[in-house]
Amino acid sequence: MNLTARITGAAGISLIAVAALAHGGATGIVMERMDGMSAMAKVMKALAPMMQGTAAYDAAAVRAGAAQIADHAGEAMTTKFPEGTSGGASEAKPEIWQDWEDFAGLARQLEVFAEGLEAAADNGIGGMPAQGNMMGNSTMMGGQGMMGSGGMMGGQTPMMTAEHIAQMPADMAFAMVSQSCTACHSRFRAEDK
Amino acid sequence: MVFLLRLAALGAVAGGAFVIGLVYWPIRDDPGTIELAGDPNRGAYLARASGCIACHTDMAGGGAPLAGGAPLETPFGTFVPPNLTTDPEHGIGVWTIGDFAVAVRQGVSPEGEPYFPSFTYPFYGNFTDQDIADLWAAFQTVPAVAEPAPDHDVAFPFNQRWGLKLWRAAFLEAPDTDPVAGRSDAWNRGRQLVEGASHCAACHTPRNPVGARLSGAAFAGNEDLPGGDAAPSILPGDLVERGWTVTNLAFALRTGVMPDGDAFGGSMGEVVQGGTAFLSPEDLTAMATYVLDQD
Repeated sequence: MNLTARITGAAGISLIAVAALAHGGATGIVMERMDGMSAMAKVMKALAPMMQGTAAYDAAAVRAGAAQIADHAGEAMTTKFPEGTSGGASEAKPEIWQDWEDFAGLARQLEVFAEGLEAAADNGIGGMPAQGNMMGNSTMMGGQGMMGSGGMMGGQTPMMTAEHIAQMPADMAFAMVSQSCTACHSRFRAEDK
Repeated sequence: MVFLLRLAALGAVAGGAFVIGLVYWPIRDDPGTIELAGDPNRGAYLARASGCIACHTDMAGGGAPLAGGAPLETPFGTFVPPNLTTDPEHGIGVWTIGDFAVAVRQGVSPEGEPYFPSFTYPFYGNFTDQDIADLWAAFQTVPAVAEPAPDHDVAFPFNQRWGLKLWRAAFLEAPDTDPVAGRSDAWNRGRQLVEGASHCAACHTPRNPVGARLSGAAFAGNEDLPGGDAAPSILPGDLVERGWTVTNLAFALRTGVMPDGDAFGGSMGEVVQGGTAFLSPEDLTAMATYVLDQD
């Protein structure tokens, strides 16, 4: 092997190493799902200021962003979590495979909510009532005391359809998408210090 | 030698007497009679703001509301948030409103035993009688769950409840919830929630080796939360540096979405899901206003 080939080879290996390090050394399927998560975070980062009223509302951007999230959710997400792919660079908790139905349910919920947001994009933003109302049952605020919404407590309530969400203000639909992210991260993502 | 033995014996007797004194030292203040009518909706709202439901419900395990929370692993042992449903045996069904007031505001059980500070009662010390009546009314609406939450698993010497009386004498202070003249209504409302009910400092302030918050480092973050979690600094300068504003912080408390587009996980995700997501936009803005000190 001549010197040039050696240098080229070393440079090639370094490039691979640099690419892998971008996600803390992740490779293969773990890298793929991290890229998916990053793509969704990028959408959320771009849309959140519109929902907060601190950036001009752009219905087309909301539609496109929501569609992108829906593409990464549901089965597109769960197929990227084959059993035995926690540990190492991955932040996936082993609970994903212990409670697979819950995990898959949240991934599906994200897909439905994102499709709802896509359809609600033209509604614009219009104030968000508190969660109790938002989840379609007013138990918390409306006279039934302390039970909260079943959705928060472990998914006993039937899931809302995308058609239902399509009737809501976009910021409300966006909050539902966000809360899916939060619910799943709380249970199934290890937090780095 | 005899002298030394006598001294040691005297020491042991004095120490024993000291401990016995501690065991019988009454710490329960009579709350008086609370006869106010409670509003269960306002109480449920305050329970959300106070994290009662987030902590005493095992959300991940699919547990019933307030039937007992997920265990907290700490250097002192494992604490299990108990069953607060109306079950007479395993919950708080046989309590009086006076028992409830003393438990919440003073951190003392109906039997006169101090609770471990894993229960965030130090933040609830300024709850008014009306707050207590509202909470009590809300707790009466919780269906009984006839299953005990597991006991705490705390090793000696931390399992000696009399030791907690010393802890209380050394570290227990009333929360800083009183309004400050010259600040906006939003800032003062935020102060009431952040320093009181919502007990942000419970996680975001570092603690000393016996688990008391370091008052000089309030909100500076805590690397050693139960279960190996960490809470970042929420000092105004640090928050601003990380991209937070009053608007996006209030939004994050409702949705979980951070300025970089990521969503909270871990215990902050649970705080949002079980608590702050239910608060009014005005209250969330007030909390963000106070934490960022921008009014």
